[in-house]
This record gives sequence, structure tokens and C-alpha cells, in this order.
Amino acid sequence: MSTINFAAREINFKIVYYGPGMSGKTTNLKWVFQQVPENRKGEMVSLATEDERTLFFDFLPVDLGEVKGFKTRFHLYTVPGQVFYNASRKLILRGVDGIVFVADSAPNRLRANAESMRNLRENLAEYGIRPEDVPLVLQANKRDLPDALPVEMIHAVIDPEQRYPIFEAVASNGTGVFDTLKAVSRQVLAKVVATS
Amino acid sequence: MVEPTVALYGAAFEKAVGVLDELLRESGARYAMLVDRKGFVLAHKEALWAPRPPALDSLATLVAGNAAATQALARMLGELQFSEQVHQGQHQSLYVEGAGEHALLLVIFDNSTPVGRVKLFARKSAQALASIAAESVVSPQKLGIDTEYREGANALLDELFGS
Repeated sequence: MSTINFAAREINFKIVYYGPGMSGKTTNLKWVFQQVPENRKGEMVSLATEDERTLFFDFLPVDLGEVKGFKTRFHLYTVPGQVFYNASRKLILRGVDGIVFVADSAPNRLRANAESMRNLRENLAEYGIRPEDVPLVLQANKRDLPDALPVEMIHAVIDPEQRYPIFEAVASNGTGVFDTLKAVSRQVLAKVVATS
Repeated sequence: MVEPTVALYGAAFEKAVGVLDELLRESGARYAMLVDRKGFVLAHKEALWAPRPPALDSLATLVAGNAAATQALARMLGELQFSEQVHQGQHQSLYVEGAGEHALLLVIFDNSTPVGRVKLFARKSAQALASIAAESVVSPQKLGIDTEYREGANALLDELFGS
């Protein structure tokens, strides 16, 4: 029989990691997968090419535990970052509850960050979602690069109005990964309570 | 919540499981599952004789992703959507049919079961499940999600990810 008890009430949230190609979205998920204890996570699903570029999405379910009789789970997804995969990228946004935007700190990726953010806004608009309606946190990843741009500069480019919090991260060694995930999760929970 | 949430529990959940159970008996399939279009498992049932199913969350996610991709293809061809999909393998096959606006019915069967039989009974079940799902669309408030819930969940976040 199944490991999931559906007779119990269950709440699922969908969090999507967005950002330009190679910015570290999958690496974020891999770190979470490595660190979360066995009984609190499901299988990680990766639909990737042979050189490990995400083709459709990565998926990881994380069990938070039981709150007030509700089994609470977060489903984490990444999108393919490469520009030409927009058709499949848009599909992943369906029913999203919260977004992590993973920006690349490399100087030559600044423009890619900006384009990806614009693409996110466009794709959300197609679902009739205004960016201010969905919880969004930013992550400046690859802070360990020797020529990493200042966080303020990245923030100014992808979020000129400074509406969203930004977290520094080195996803390959886990720095900032949980801080980012916790921040977006808290916002998602706050939003659910506020709209109910 | 950006999209309406289907929360299946209590009587509606029992009813859905009942429909899945009947579908398994009538069709001879191994597993039947109701999945929402965002990729969450709503209800599932497996035949007593069947081996343990693959990871349900992964199944649900891939089926929903696949259905979304197929729907996008349909739109490119000027269709609103394709109503059903069959994937036939050498030993195992998979049948997916839309169960209303919010959910998908997934049936997994082996080559001892004729696909026509699965189609016939799945179509009937999909209609019943569509109305159950439609009645189970709720706002989070009705579920009792409140500040107390939020605080509890926040505490669990700290416990799992460190504060």
C-alpha cells in the first residue's frame, strides 16, 4: 500500500526556480535533495540532456510535516533556462505558488538575467498573473566567482524598484540555498493566510 | 492562490477512491490515479494483485507535465486539447484522460488488459471524477488555513532548514 495517507488532509505548494541558462537552478534543487533527510523527501526527477542541461524540468517533493492536522508539502520545480525552451518553460509556471529567481553573478550574464526576468513577467502575464501577486525572492548565485558583480548592481538590473528581497548564494556548496527557500516558503504561507 | 485549489478529503475523497476502485475491477488495470493539472496526487488506488507502484509523486508530475505539453501541441494545431492519450509499451501501458478542468485520470495497465476495455471504463470514471473534482474546489480559508497554521508551518521550516 501507498506511503501517503490521503485520508489525512494534505496541502501542497508549488515553488518554481526561474532564471537564465546555467545560473544554478538545478544545483539549488540538488543541494536541497542532498541535505533533506530521507523521510522528508521524495524522488528527484530530472528531465535533462546528456550534458545535464535541463530540458523540461527538475522536480523534488519536500515534506514539511504536519501542521494543525494538515500534511504540508512543497513541490520544487526548475525550468529550463535556455532562451529557446520557452514553450516548455511556460508550462512549468502553471499553478505556481512562489518563485525563486536565480540570477548569475558573472559579468557577462547580467544581460541574460535581465532578459530572463522580462521573460518571467511575460509568461506570468499569459497566465493572467501580475508579478506582484505571486511571492518572489531573488538569489544572486555564484558569489564565489572572482569577478562576481556587486549584488546591488544585479538587484538594480533585475528588480529596479527593489520590490523583492535578494539572497547571496553559492549553490554548489549550499551557501544561501536554504535561506532562499525558507524566505519564499514563508512568503507563500503568508500569502495563503492573507488571501483566505 | 493563483489557481483554484482542489482539496480532496473526507466524503469526496472516499467517493473518488470508490470510483478508482470500481474502475480497477471493471477494467483489470493495475493502478488508477487522480492527479490535478499542477501535478499533485489527489487520490490513487492500486489493484490488490499488482506489485508496488512507482513513486506516485513522480508519476503525477510527469503525467501533468506531459498533459500540459500535449495541450500546448493541440493548441498549435487549432484544437482546444486532445481528450485522451495512450502510451503503449511492450508490457506496461498508460492511459490518461482529462477529468474536467482541474484534474487528470491516469490508468496504468499491463498487456493482459485490452486497451479498449480500459478506454471504455476510464471514460465513464473520468466523468464521475470530473464532477467530484469540480465540487472539491475550495478556498484555503475553508480548509482552516489561518495564522496559527502559518506559525506552525514556519516553525517546521526552521526545524527542517535550520534557523
